[in-house]
Amino acid sequence: MVDDTPVATIIRPQIHIQNAVKSFSGRVVVDVDELTLGDHAIEGLIGPNGAGKTTLMRMIMHSTPLDRGTITMSNANGGGDVVISDLPTHWMAPHGLVKSNQVIMDFDKLTILDSMLLAIAQAKYEQPHRLFVETQVYDAAVERVHEYMEYFELGDPYRFAGSAGEKKLLDIIRCLLLEPRFLLLDEPTAGLPDDVTEKVMAIIRDLAVAGTSVVIVEHDLNVIWNLSDDVHFMAEGSVVMHGSPAEIRENKTVIEKYLGEGHV
Amino acid sequence: MNLDWLDAFLISGLFSVVVIVGLGLLLHLQLGLTRIANFGVVGFFGIGMYSFGVLFTKVDWPFGDLWAFLISLAFGTLVAGLSGLLVGWLIADLDEDGVLVGTLGFATAVFILATTEQDLTGGALGLGGLKFPYDVGTVKADEFLWLVIVSIVVALIFLYVWWVHRTPYGRLLIAIGGNEPLAKSLGKPAFRTKLWLFAVGSAGMGLIGALFGVMERFLAPENLGIDVTLAAMVALVLGGTARAWGAVIGGFLIIGFFDIIVQSYLPLPKEWYGQAIPNIKEIVFGALLIVVLLFRPLGILGDMRRDKLMRRVHG
Repeated sequence: MVDDTPVATIIRPQIHIQNAVKSFSGRVVVDVDELTLGDHAIEGLIGPNGAGKTTLMRMIMHSTPLDRGTITMSNANGGGDVVISDLPTHWMAPHGLVKSNQVIMDFDKLTILDSMLLAIAQAKYEQPHRLFVETQVYDAAVERVHEYMEYFELGDPYRFAGSAGEKKLLDIIRCLLLEPRFLLLDEPTAGLPDDVTEKVMAIIRDLAVAGTSVVIVEHDLNVIWNLSDDVHFMAEGSVVMHGSPAEIRENKTVIEKYLGEGHV
Repeated sequence: MNLDWLDAFLISGLFSVVVIVGLGLLLHLQLGLTRIANFGVVGFFGIGMYSFGVLFTKVDWPFGDLWAFLISLAFGTLVAGLSGLLVGWLIADLDEDGVLVGTLGFATAVFILATTEQDLTGGALGLGGLKFPYDVGTVKADEFLWLVIVSIVVALIFLYVWWVHRTPYGRLLIAIGGNEPLAKSLGKPAFRTKLWLFAVGSAGMGLIGALFGVMERFLAPENLGIDVTLAAMVALVLGGTARAWGAVIGGFLIIGFFDIIVQSYLPLPKEWYGQAIPNIKEIVFGALLIVVLLFRPLGILGDMRRDKLMRRVHG
Protein backbone atom coordinates (compact mmCIF):
# COMPACT_ATOMS: atom_id res chain seq x y z
CA MET A 1 0.00 0.00 0.00
CA VAL A 2 0.87 3.62 0.15
CA ASP A 3 3.20 3.26 3.12
CA ASP A 4 5.48 0.94 1.18
CA THR A 5 6.37 3.61 -1.33
CA PRO A 6 9.35 5.83 -0.58
CA VAL A 7 7.53 9.00 0.34
CA ALA A 8 9.47 9.85 3.49
CA THR A 9 10.63 13.16 2.05
CA ILE A 10 7.14 14.46 1.49
CA ILE A 11 5.92 16.79 4.24
CA ARG A 12 2.19 16.29 4.52
CA PRO A 13 -0.14 19.00 5.70
CA GLN A 14 -1.93 18.25 8.96
CA ILE A 15 -5.03 19.53 10.65
CA HIS A 16 -5.02 19.97 14.42
CA ILE A 17 -8.32 20.23 16.19
CA GLN A 18 -8.38 21.48 19.79
CA ASN A 19 -11.39 21.70 22.10
CA ALA A 20 -13.72 22.08 19.15
CA VAL A 21 -17.33 22.16 20.26
CA LYS A 22 -20.51 22.56 18.26
CA SER A 23 -24.04 22.26 19.50
CA PHE A 24 -27.35 22.72 17.77
CA SER A 25 -30.19 24.01 19.96
CA GLY A 26 -28.46 22.96 23.13
CA ARG A 27 -27.54 19.45 21.98
CA VAL A 28 -23.80 18.92 21.72
CA VAL A 29 -23.11 17.36 18.33
CA VAL A 30 -19.33 17.59 18.22
CA ASP A 31 -16.97 17.83 21.18
CA VAL A 32 -13.43 16.96 20.14
CA ASP A 33 -10.67 17.57 22.73
CA GLU A 34 -7.64 16.89 20.65
CA LEU A 35 -7.39 15.39 17.21
CA THR A 36 -4.74 15.43 14.52
CA LEU A 37 -5.67 14.51 10.98
CA GLY A 38 -3.04 13.89 8.34
CA ASP A 39 -0.51 11.78 10.20
CA HIS A 40 -1.09 9.20 7.50
CA ALA A 41 -1.63 9.61 3.81
CA ILE A 42 -5.22 8.37 3.83
CA GLU A 43 -7.28 8.29 6.98
CA GLY A 44 -10.80 7.02 7.41
CA LEU A 45 -13.38 8.59 9.69
CA ILE A 46 -16.17 6.21 10.60
CA GLY A 47 -18.92 6.00 13.15
CA PRO A 48 -22.65 5.48 13.51
CA ASN A 49 -25.19 7.90 12.08
CA GLY A 50 -25.36 11.07 14.11
CA ALA A 51 -21.84 10.64 15.49
CA GLY A 52 -20.94 14.12 14.18
CA LYS A 53 -18.66 13.16 11.28
CA THR A 54 -20.19 15.48 8.71
CA THR A 55 -20.51 18.30 11.24
CA LEU A 56 -16.84 17.92 12.16
CA MET A 57 -15.90 18.12 8.47
CA ARG A 58 -18.03 21.21 8.05
CA MET A 59 -16.41 22.76 11.12
CA ILE A 60 -13.00 22.20 9.60
CA MET A 61 -14.14 24.01 6.45
CA HIS A 62 -15.75 26.67 8.64
CA SER A 63 -19.00 26.30 6.72
CA THR A 64 -20.38 25.53 10.19
CA PRO A 65 -19.02 28.00 12.76
CA LEU A 66 -17.49 26.60 15.95
CA ASP A 67 -18.99 27.34 19.37
CA ARG A 68 -15.45 27.32 20.69
CA GLY A 69 -12.05 25.76 20.04
CA THR A 70 -9.42 26.17 17.37
CA ILE A 71 -8.50 24.31 14.24
CA THR A 72 -5.09 24.85 12.69
CA MET A 73 -3.53 23.55 9.53
CA SER A 74 0.20 23.00 9.35
CA ASN A 75 2.26 22.86 6.17
CA ALA A 76 -0.56 24.50 4.27
CA ASN A 77 0.01 25.96 0.82
CA GLY A 78 2.93 28.30 1.22
CA GLY A 79 4.11 26.51 4.37
CA GLY A 80 3.63 27.50 7.99
CA ASP A 81 0.70 27.13 10.34
CA VAL A 82 -2.67 28.68 9.62
CA VAL A 83 -5.49 29.00 12.14
CA ILE A 84 -8.20 27.98 9.74
CA SER A 85 -11.00 28.31 12.28
CA ASP A 86 -10.41 32.08 12.07
CA LEU A 87 -10.79 32.12 8.29
CA PRO A 88 -13.91 32.36 6.12
CA THR A 89 -14.81 29.28 4.04
CA HIS A 90 -13.59 30.70 0.76
CA TRP A 91 -10.02 30.92 2.08
CA MET A 92 -9.76 27.16 2.57
CA ALA A 93 -9.28 26.26 -1.09
CA PRO A 94 -6.41 28.76 -1.59
CA HIS A 95 -4.71 27.16 1.43
CA GLY A 96 -5.05 23.79 -0.23
CA LEU A 97 -7.90 22.54 1.95
CA VAL A 98 -10.81 21.17 -0.05
CA LYS A 99 -13.91 19.14 0.82
CA SER A 100 -16.33 17.19 -1.32
CA ASN A 101 -19.97 17.25 -0.31
CA GLN A 102 -22.06 14.51 1.23
CA VAL A 103 -25.30 15.73 -0.32
CA ILE A 104 -25.50 16.53 -4.01
CA MET A 105 -24.31 20.06 -4.70
CA ASP A 106 -24.30 21.46 -8.20
CA PHE A 107 -24.69 24.64 -10.21
CA ASP A 108 -27.92 24.09 -12.14
CA LYS A 109 -27.23 26.76 -14.74
CA LEU A 110 -23.63 25.81 -15.45
CA THR A 111 -22.54 23.09 -17.84
CA ILE A 112 -20.06 20.40 -16.88
CA LEU A 113 -17.31 22.35 -18.61
CA ASP A 114 -18.38 25.59 -16.89
CA SER A 115 -18.19 23.86 -13.54
CA MET A 116 -14.68 22.63 -14.21
CA LEU A 117 -13.48 25.99 -15.57
CA LEU A 118 -14.94 27.66 -12.50
CA ALA A 119 -12.89 25.42 -10.24
CA ILE A 120 -9.70 26.06 -12.20
CA ALA A 121 -10.07 29.80 -12.93
CA GLN A 122 -7.84 32.01 -10.81
CA ALA A 123 -9.37 34.91 -8.91
CA LYS A 124 -7.47 37.48 -10.98
CA TYR A 125 -9.41 36.42 -14.08
CA GLU A 126 -12.78 36.60 -12.36
CA GLN A 127 -12.87 40.38 -12.09
CA PRO A 128 -15.58 42.55 -13.63
CA HIS A 129 -13.07 44.42 -15.81
CA ARG A 130 -11.30 41.31 -17.16
CA LEU A 131 -13.44 41.09 -20.26
CA PHE A 132 -11.17 39.26 -22.65
CA VAL A 133 -9.69 36.41 -20.61
CA GLU A 134 -12.12 33.56 -21.30
CA THR A 135 -9.86 32.14 -24.00
CA GLN A 136 -6.87 32.32 -21.66
CA VAL A 137 -8.74 30.50 -18.89
CA TYR A 138 -10.02 27.90 -21.33
CA ASP A 139 -6.65 27.28 -22.98
CA ALA A 140 -4.94 26.88 -19.63
CA ALA A 141 -7.56 24.40 -18.43
CA VAL A 142 -8.51 22.43 -21.52
CA GLU A 143 -5.91 19.70 -21.16
CA ARG A 144 -6.82 18.82 -17.59
CA VAL A 145 -10.52 19.09 -18.35
CA HIS A 146 -10.21 16.61 -21.20
CA GLU A 147 -8.12 14.30 -19.09
CA TYR A 148 -10.94 14.01 -16.56
CA MET A 149 -13.66 13.92 -19.22
CA GLU A 150 -11.98 10.96 -20.89
CA TYR A 151 -10.95 9.14 -17.72
CA PHE A 152 -14.52 9.21 -16.41
CA GLU A 153 -16.06 8.80 -19.89
CA LEU A 154 -18.29 11.83 -19.44
CA GLY A 155 -18.77 12.47 -23.14
CA ASP A 156 -19.79 15.97 -24.17
CA PRO A 157 -18.56 18.68 -21.78
CA TYR A 158 -21.02 21.25 -23.18
CA ARG A 159 -24.01 19.81 -21.39
CA PHE A 160 -25.50 19.85 -17.94
CA ALA A 161 -24.80 17.09 -15.44
CA GLY A 162 -27.79 14.78 -15.57
CA SER A 163 -28.07 12.05 -12.98
CA ALA A 164 -27.42 12.32 -9.27
CA GLY A 165 -24.36 10.13 -9.74
CA GLU A 166 -22.97 12.44 -12.41
CA LYS A 167 -23.45 15.48 -10.17
CA LYS A 168 -21.73 13.68 -7.31
CA LEU A 169 -18.83 12.78 -9.57
CA LEU A 170 -18.63 16.34 -10.85
CA ASP A 171 -18.43 17.54 -7.25
CA ILE A 172 -15.40 15.31 -6.69
CA ILE A 173 -13.81 16.36 -9.99
CA ARG A 174 -14.16 20.02 -9.01
CA CYS A 175 -12.34 19.23 -5.77
CA LEU A 176 -9.56 17.45 -7.65
CA LEU A 177 -9.18 20.36 -10.08
CA LEU A 178 -8.47 22.64 -7.12
CA GLU A 179 -5.26 20.61 -6.61
CA PRO A 180 -5.87 19.98 -2.90
CA ARG A 181 -3.06 19.54 -0.41
CA PHE A 182 -5.55 18.32 2.17
CA LEU A 183 -8.65 16.62 0.81
CA LEU A 184 -11.74 15.83 2.87
CA LEU A 185 -14.16 13.42 1.23
CA ASP A 186 -17.62 13.13 2.78
CA GLU A 187 -19.14 9.85 1.58
CA PRO A 188 -17.58 10.09 -1.86
CA THR A 189 -18.93 6.78 -3.11
CA ALA A 190 -22.58 7.22 -2.09
CA GLY A 191 -24.56 7.29 -5.32
CA LEU A 192 -21.63 6.40 -7.57
CA PRO A 193 -21.63 3.22 -9.67
CA ASP A 194 -18.96 0.67 -8.69
CA ASP A 195 -16.71 1.20 -11.70
CA VAL A 196 -16.68 4.97 -11.12
CA THR A 197 -15.93 4.43 -7.44
CA GLU A 198 -12.92 2.35 -8.46
CA LYS A 199 -11.68 5.13 -10.73
CA VAL A 200 -12.15 7.77 -8.06
CA MET A 201 -10.27 5.67 -5.51
CA ALA A 202 -7.40 5.12 -7.92
CA ILE A 203 -7.00 8.89 -8.30
CA ILE A 204 -7.21 9.40 -4.54
CA ARG A 205 -4.41 6.88 -4.04
CA ASP A 206 -2.22 8.66 -6.58
CA LEU A 207 -2.91 12.00 -4.94
CA ALA A 208 -1.98 10.60 -1.54
CA VAL A 209 1.26 9.16 -2.87
CA ALA A 210 2.09 12.54 -4.32
CA GLY A 211 1.74 14.19 -0.91
CA THR A 212 -1.88 15.13 -0.38
CA SER A 213 -3.41 14.17 2.96
CA VAL A 214 -6.82 12.58 2.55
CA VAL A 215 -9.57 12.01 5.09
CA ILE A 216 -12.58 9.95 4.04
CA VAL A 217 -15.93 9.70 5.77
CA GLU A 218 -17.59 6.62 4.37
CA HIS A 219 -20.34 4.18 5.16
CA ASP A 220 -19.10 1.62 2.65
CA LEU A 221 -16.55 0.05 4.99
CA ASN A 222 -14.82 -1.90 2.23
CA VAL A 223 -13.61 1.41 0.90
CA ILE A 224 -12.24 2.28 4.34
CA TRP A 225 -10.51 -1.06 4.89
CA ASN A 226 -8.98 -1.06 1.41
CA LEU A 227 -7.90 2.50 1.19
CA SER A 228 -7.01 3.97 4.53
CA ASP A 229 -3.82 3.65 6.52
CA ASP A 230 -5.42 4.76 9.75
CA VAL A 231 -9.00 4.92 10.98
CA HIS A 232 -10.66 7.28 13.44
CA PHE A 233 -13.81 6.00 15.08
CA MET A 234 -16.27 8.62 16.11
CA ALA A 235 -19.26 8.21 18.41
CA GLU A 236 -21.48 10.71 20.17
CA GLY A 237 -19.54 13.72 19.01
CA SER A 238 -16.00 12.71 19.81
CA VAL A 239 -13.29 10.49 18.41
CA VAL A 240 -13.26 7.57 20.79
CA MET A 241 -10.63 5.45 19.13
CA HIS A 242 -8.10 5.34 16.39
CA GLY A 243 -5.79 2.76 14.94
CA SER A 244 -4.97 0.73 11.87
CA PRO A 245 -7.93 -0.69 9.95
CA ALA A 246 -7.15 -4.12 11.33
CA GLU A 247 -7.18 -2.90 14.93
CA ILE A 248 -10.43 -1.04 14.47
CA ARG A 249 -12.29 -3.92 12.84
CA GLU A 250 -11.32 -6.20 15.72
CA ASN A 251 -12.30 -3.81 18.46
CA LYS A 252 -15.28 -4.90 20.54
CA THR A 253 -16.70 -1.43 21.12
CA VAL A 254 -16.65 -0.68 17.43
CA ILE A 255 -18.32 -3.93 16.62
CA GLU A 256 -21.03 -3.35 19.20
CA LYS A 257 -21.67 0.27 18.40
CA TYR A 258 -21.39 0.26 14.69
CA LEU A 259 -20.44 -2.72 12.67
CA GLY A 260 -22.59 -5.51 13.96
CA GLU A 261 -21.18 -9.03 14.00
CA GLY A 262 -21.86 -9.72 10.35
CA HIS A 263 -19.62 -7.01 8.96
CA VAL A 264 -16.29 -7.88 10.48
CA MET B 1 -32.32 70.32 -37.37
CA ASN B 2 -35.82 69.73 -38.71
CA LEU B 3 -37.70 67.41 -36.35
CA ASP B 4 -41.24 67.97 -37.59
CA TRP B 5 -41.56 64.27 -38.38
CA LEU B 6 -40.97 63.43 -34.74
CA ASP B 7 -43.74 63.57 -32.20
CA ALA B 8 -42.74 65.09 -28.84
CA PHE B 9 -44.62 62.29 -27.09
CA LEU B 10 -42.64 59.73 -29.01
CA ILE B 11 -39.39 61.23 -27.69
CA SER B 12 -40.55 61.03 -24.09
CA GLY B 13 -42.05 57.57 -24.65
CA LEU B 14 -38.83 56.23 -26.14
CA PHE B 15 -36.89 57.90 -23.35
CA SER B 16 -38.95 56.01 -20.74
CA VAL B 17 -38.29 52.77 -22.59
CA VAL B 18 -34.54 53.41 -22.72
CA VAL B 19 -34.37 54.33 -19.02
CA ILE B 20 -36.30 51.24 -17.92
CA VAL B 21 -34.24 49.02 -20.23
CA GLY B 22 -31.08 50.45 -18.65
CA LEU B 23 -32.34 49.75 -15.13
CA GLY B 24 -33.54 46.31 -16.21
CA LEU B 25 -30.11 45.44 -17.61
CA LEU B 26 -28.40 46.33 -14.33
CA LEU B 27 -31.08 44.38 -12.49
CA HIS B 28 -30.33 41.43 -14.78
CA LEU B 29 -26.78 41.30 -13.39
CA GLN B 30 -28.03 41.48 -9.81
CA LEU B 31 -31.21 39.40 -9.95
CA GLY B 32 -30.87 37.37 -13.14
CA LEU B 33 -27.32 36.14 -12.66
CA THR B 34 -26.45 36.60 -8.99
CA ARG B 35 -29.97 36.16 -7.54
CA ILE B 36 -29.90 39.35 -5.46
CA ALA B 37 -33.54 40.45 -5.49
CA ASN B 38 -33.03 44.20 -5.46
CA PHE B 39 -36.41 45.80 -4.86
CA GLY B 40 -34.80 49.15 -4.15
CA VAL B 41 -33.94 50.06 -7.74
CA VAL B 42 -35.76 53.37 -7.50
CA GLY B 43 -33.85 54.23 -4.32
CA PHE B 44 -30.50 54.18 -6.11
CA PHE B 45 -32.08 55.80 -9.16
CA GLY B 46 -33.45 58.56 -6.92
CA ILE B 47 -30.35 59.11 -4.84
CA GLY B 48 -28.32 59.52 -8.04
CA MET B 49 -30.92 61.90 -9.45
CA TYR B 50 -31.12 64.10 -6.37
CA SER B 51 -27.40 64.11 -5.56
CA PHE B 52 -26.77 65.25 -9.11
CA GLY B 53 -29.58 67.80 -9.11
CA VAL B 54 -28.80 69.31 -5.71
CA LEU B 55 -25.09 69.69 -6.41
CA PHE B 56 -25.69 71.13 -9.87
CA THR B 57 -28.31 73.68 -8.83
CA LYS B 58 -27.22 74.66 -5.31
CA VAL B 59 -23.54 75.24 -5.88
CA ASP B 60 -22.33 78.50 -7.34
CA TRP B 61 -20.06 76.92 -9.93
CA PRO B 62 -16.99 79.00 -10.82
CA PHE B 63 -16.58 77.37 -14.22
CA GLY B 64 -18.68 76.61 -17.27
CA ASP B 65 -21.92 74.68 -17.31
CA LEU B 66 -20.55 71.60 -19.00
CA TRP B 67 -17.92 70.99 -16.33
CA ALA B 68 -20.37 71.67 -13.53
CA PHE B 69 -22.73 69.26 -15.22
CA LEU B 70 -20.17 66.47 -15.61
CA ILE B 71 -18.85 66.85 -12.06
CA SER B 72 -22.38 66.75 -10.68
CA LEU B 73 -23.14 63.69 -12.79
CA ALA B 74 -20.06 61.91 -11.44
CA PHE B 75 -21.06 62.94 -7.93
CA GLY B 76 -24.58 61.53 -8.33
CA THR B 77 -23.16 58.26 -9.62
CA LEU B 78 -20.65 58.09 -6.79
CA VAL B 79 -23.20 58.76 -4.05
CA ALA B 80 -25.51 56.08 -5.49
CA GLY B 81 -22.53 53.69 -5.59
CA LEU B 82 -21.57 54.44 -2.00
CA SER B 83 -25.13 53.93 -0.79
CA GLY B 84 -25.11 50.67 -2.76
CA LEU B 85 -21.96 49.68 -0.92
CA LEU B 86 -23.61 50.41 2.41
CA VAL B 87 -26.93 48.71 1.60
CA GLY B 88 -25.08 45.82 -0.05
CA TRP B 89 -22.93 45.32 3.03
CA LEU B 90 -26.08 45.10 5.11
CA ILE B 91 -27.94 42.67 2.87
CA ALA B 92 -25.30 40.56 1.10
CA ASP B 93 -25.45 37.81 3.71
CA LEU B 94 -29.23 37.88 4.21
CA ASP B 95 -31.70 35.44 2.67
CA GLU B 96 -34.10 36.49 -0.08
CA ASP B 97 -36.73 37.89 2.27
CA GLY B 98 -34.13 39.97 4.06
CA VAL B 99 -32.79 41.36 0.78
CA LEU B 100 -36.30 42.23 -0.38
CA VAL B 101 -37.23 44.06 2.82
CA GLY B 102 -33.83 45.77 3.12
CA THR B 103 -33.80 47.15 -0.42
CA LEU B 104 -37.47 48.13 -0.31
CA GLY B 105 -36.83 49.94 2.97
CA PHE B 106 -33.92 51.79 1.45
CA ALA B 107 -36.04 53.01 -1.47
CA THR B 108 -38.66 54.23 0.99
CA ALA B 109 -36.01 56.06 3.00
CA VAL B 110 -34.80 57.84 -0.14
CA PHE B 111 -38.35 58.85 -1.02
CA ILE B 112 -38.94 60.24 2.46
CA LEU B 113 -35.62 62.10 2.47
CA ALA B 114 -36.46 63.68 -0.88
CA THR B 115 -39.78 64.84 0.58
CA THR B 116 -38.62 66.06 3.99
CA GLU B 117 -35.20 67.60 3.31
CA GLN B 118 -36.82 70.71 1.90
CA ASP B 119 -33.76 72.95 2.12
CA LEU B 120 -31.89 70.70 -0.26
CA THR B 121 -34.54 69.03 -2.39
CA GLY B 122 -37.39 71.48 -2.36
CA GLY B 123 -39.55 68.82 -0.73
CA ALA B 124 -42.86 68.00 -2.34
CA LEU B 125 -42.68 71.24 -4.33
CA GLY B 126 -39.71 69.91 -6.21
CA LEU B 127 -36.39 71.19 -7.39
CA GLY B 128 -36.09 73.21 -10.58
CA GLY B 129 -33.13 74.66 -12.42
CA LEU B 130 -31.81 71.60 -14.20
CA LYS B 131 -30.96 71.94 -17.85
CA PHE B 132 -29.27 70.20 -20.72
CA PRO B 133 -25.51 70.74 -20.93
CA TYR B 134 -25.97 72.14 -24.43
CA ASP B 135 -28.42 74.16 -26.48
CA VAL B 136 -29.08 73.10 -30.06
CA GLY B 137 -31.99 75.41 -30.77
CA THR B 138 -35.43 74.11 -29.88
CA VAL B 139 -36.55 72.23 -26.78
CA LYS B 140 -37.53 69.36 -29.02
CA ALA B 141 -34.09 69.16 -30.58
CA ASP B 142 -32.47 69.31 -27.15
CA GLU B 143 -34.66 66.49 -25.92
CA PHE B 144 -34.02 64.42 -29.01
CA LEU B 145 -30.28 64.80 -28.63
CA TRP B 146 -30.57 63.82 -24.97
CA LEU B 147 -32.54 60.71 -25.97
CA VAL B 148 -29.70 59.80 -28.36
CA ILE B 149 -27.03 60.35 -25.70
CA VAL B 150 -28.84 58.30 -23.05
CA SER B 151 -29.53 55.58 -25.62
CA ILE B 152 -25.80 55.36 -26.25
CA VAL B 153 -25.13 55.03 -22.52
CA VAL B 154 -27.75 52.27 -22.22
CA ALA B 155 -26.40 50.56 -25.34
CA LEU B 156 -22.95 50.47 -23.72
CA ILE B 157 -24.47 48.98 -20.58
CA PHE B 158 -26.16 46.37 -22.77
CA LEU B 159 -22.90 45.52 -24.53
CA TYR B 160 -21.18 45.02 -21.21
CA VAL B 161 -23.98 42.88 -19.78
CA TRP B 162 -24.21 40.83 -22.98
CA TRP B 163 -20.47 40.26 -23.00
CA VAL B 164 -20.21 39.40 -19.29
CA HIS B 165 -21.96 36.10 -20.06
CA ARG B 166 -18.84 35.24 -22.08
CA THR B 167 -16.30 35.95 -19.34
CA PRO B 168 -15.04 34.09 -16.25
CA TYR B 169 -16.61 36.88 -14.18
CA GLY B 170 -20.04 36.07 -15.58
CA ARG B 171 -19.50 32.41 -14.77
CA LEU B 172 -18.61 33.39 -11.21
CA LEU B 173 -21.79 35.47 -10.85
CA ILE B 174 -23.95 32.60 -12.14
CA ALA B 175 -22.18 30.19 -9.78
CA ILE B 176 -22.75 32.42 -6.75
CA GLY B 177 -26.37 32.97 -7.75
CA GLY B 178 -26.90 29.26 -8.24
CA ASN B 179 -25.21 27.82 -5.16
CA GLU B 180 -23.37 30.23 -2.91
CA PRO B 181 -22.08 27.70 -0.32
CA LEU B 182 -20.65 25.57 -3.11
CA ALA B 183 -19.00 28.59 -4.74
CA LYS B 184 -17.43 29.50 -1.39
CA SER B 185 -16.11 25.98 -0.91
CA LEU B 186 -14.38 26.33 -4.30
CA GLY B 187 -12.55 29.35 -2.92
CA LYS B 188 -14.77 32.03 -4.46
CA PRO B 189 -15.20 35.21 -2.37
CA ALA B 190 -18.99 35.29 -2.64
CA PHE B 191 -19.63 38.13 -0.20
CA ARG B 192 -17.10 40.49 -1.76
CA THR B 193 -18.23 39.66 -5.28
CA LYS B 194 -21.89 40.32 -4.44
CA LEU B 195 -21.02 43.50 -2.58
CA TRP B 196 -19.08 44.99 -5.50
CA LEU B 197 -21.64 43.93 -8.03
CA PHE B 198 -24.35 45.53 -5.93
CA ALA B 199 -22.38 48.75 -5.43
CA VAL B 200 -21.42 49.15 -9.07
CA GLY B 201 -24.92 48.22 -10.22
CA SER B 202 -26.34 50.81 -7.84
CA ALA B 203 -23.93 53.42 -9.18
CA GLY B 204 -25.20 52.64 -12.68
CA MET B 205 -28.80 53.04 -11.50
CA GLY B 206 -27.82 56.37 -9.93
CA LEU B 207 -26.28 57.51 -13.20
CA ILE B 208 -29.46 56.59 -15.08
CA GLY B 209 -31.46 58.46 -12.43
CA ALA B 210 -29.37 61.59 -12.94
CA LEU B 211 -29.73 61.34 -16.74
CA PHE B 212 -33.47 60.92 -16.25
CA GLY B 213 -33.56 64.01 -14.03
CA VAL B 214 -31.98 66.10 -16.78
CA MET B 215 -34.76 65.14 -19.17
CA GLU B 216 -37.39 66.01 -16.54
CA ARG B 217 -35.61 69.30 -15.71
CA PHE B 218 -37.61 69.31 -12.53
CA LEU B 219 -37.09 66.85 -9.67
CA ALA B 220 -40.03 65.86 -7.53
CA PRO B 221 -40.51 62.96 -5.09
CA GLU B 222 -43.29 61.63 -7.29
CA ASN B 223 -40.55 60.45 -9.66
CA LEU B 224 -39.41 58.08 -6.94
CA GLY B 225 -42.45 55.86 -6.65
CA ILE B 226 -42.36 52.09 -6.52
CA ASP B 227 -43.55 52.07 -10.15
CA VAL B 228 -39.97 52.65 -11.37
CA THR B 229 -38.72 49.53 -9.58
CA LEU B 230 -41.80 47.67 -10.69
CA ALA B 231 -41.34 48.70 -14.32
CA ALA B 232 -37.73 47.54 -14.40
CA MET B 233 -38.67 44.32 -12.63
CA VAL B 234 -41.64 43.60 -14.90
CA ALA B 235 -39.64 44.37 -18.05
CA LEU B 236 -36.85 42.03 -16.97
CA VAL B 237 -39.13 39.21 -15.80
CA LEU B 238 -41.33 39.44 -18.88
CA GLY B 239 -38.36 39.33 -21.25
CA GLY B 240 -36.42 36.78 -19.22
CA THR B 241 -34.38 37.39 -16.08
CA ALA B 242 -31.60 35.03 -17.11
CA ARG B 243 -30.96 36.55 -20.54
CA ALA B 244 -29.14 39.73 -21.48
CA TRP B 245 -31.81 40.48 -24.11
CA GLY B 246 -34.57 39.98 -21.54
CA ALA B 247 -34.67 43.53 -20.21
CA VAL B 248 -34.48 44.95 -23.75
CA ILE B 249 -37.35 42.90 -25.13
CA GLY B 250 -39.47 43.20 -22.00
CA GLY B 251 -38.79 46.95 -21.78
CA PHE B 252 -39.81 47.64 -25.36
CA LEU B 253 -42.91 45.47 -25.03
CA ILE B 254 -44.31 46.70 -21.76
CA ILE B 255 -43.06 50.30 -21.49
CA GLY B 256 -43.31 50.72 -25.23
CA PHE B 257 -46.93 49.64 -25.04
CA PHE B 258 -47.90 52.02 -22.25
CA ASP B 259 -45.69 55.04 -22.85
CA ILE B 260 -45.81 55.06 -26.61
CA ILE B 261 -48.84 53.19 -27.94
CA VAL B 262 -51.34 53.95 -25.17
CA GLN B 263 -49.97 57.46 -24.68
CA SER B 264 -50.02 58.56 -28.32
CA TYR B 265 -51.83 56.19 -30.60
CA LEU B 266 -54.85 54.75 -28.81
CA PRO B 267 -58.05 56.76 -29.14
CA LEU B 268 -58.71 57.06 -25.42
CA PRO B 269 -60.66 59.85 -23.69
CA LYS B 270 -58.36 62.71 -22.72
CA GLU B 271 -59.38 62.73 -19.05
CA TRP B 272 -58.01 59.21 -18.61
CA TYR B 273 -54.43 60.27 -19.01
CA GLY B 274 -54.16 62.18 -15.74
CA GLN B 275 -55.31 59.59 -13.22
CA ALA B 276 -56.65 56.43 -14.79
CA ILE B 277 -53.78 55.38 -17.06
CA PRO B 278 -50.99 55.51 -14.47
CA ASN B 279 -53.18 53.48 -12.12
CA ILE B 280 -54.12 50.97 -14.80
CA LYS B 281 -50.44 50.74 -15.68
CA GLU B 282 -49.49 49.77 -12.13
CA ILE B 283 -52.32 47.26 -11.93
CA VAL B 284 -51.25 45.68 -15.22
CA PHE B 285 -47.60 45.58 -14.09
CA GLY B 286 -48.53 43.77 -10.90
CA ALA B 287 -50.92 41.38 -12.65
CA LEU B 288 -48.44 40.71 -15.44
CA LEU B 289 -45.70 39.93 -12.95
CA ILE B 290 -47.95 37.34 -11.31
CA VAL B 291 -49.08 35.83 -14.62
CA VAL B 292 -45.55 35.56 -16.01
CA LEU B 293 -44.22 34.04 -12.82
CA LEU B 294 -47.08 31.54 -12.78
CA PHE B 295 -47.04 30.45 -16.39
CA ARG B 296 -43.63 31.28 -17.78
CA PRO B 297 -41.35 32.07 -14.85
CA LEU B 298 -38.30 32.37 -17.10
CA GLY B 299 -39.95 34.98 -19.33
CA ILE B 300 -40.39 35.15 -23.08
CA LEU B 301 -36.79 34.23 -23.86
CA GLY B 302 -36.56 31.41 -21.35
CA ASP B 303 -33.51 30.20 -19.50
CA MET B 304 -29.91 31.00 -20.36
CA ARG B 305 -28.39 28.44 -22.69
CA ARG B 306 -24.87 27.98 -21.41
CA ASP B 307 -24.51 24.76 -23.40
CA LYS B 308 -24.93 26.55 -26.72
CA LEU B 309 -23.25 29.77 -25.64
CA MET B 310 -20.08 28.12 -24.36
CA ARG B 311 -19.78 25.97 -27.47
CA ARG B 312 -19.86 29.16 -29.54
CA VAL B 313 -17.46 31.04 -27.27
CA HIS B 314 -14.84 28.28 -27.33
CA GLY B 315 -15.46 27.74 -31.03
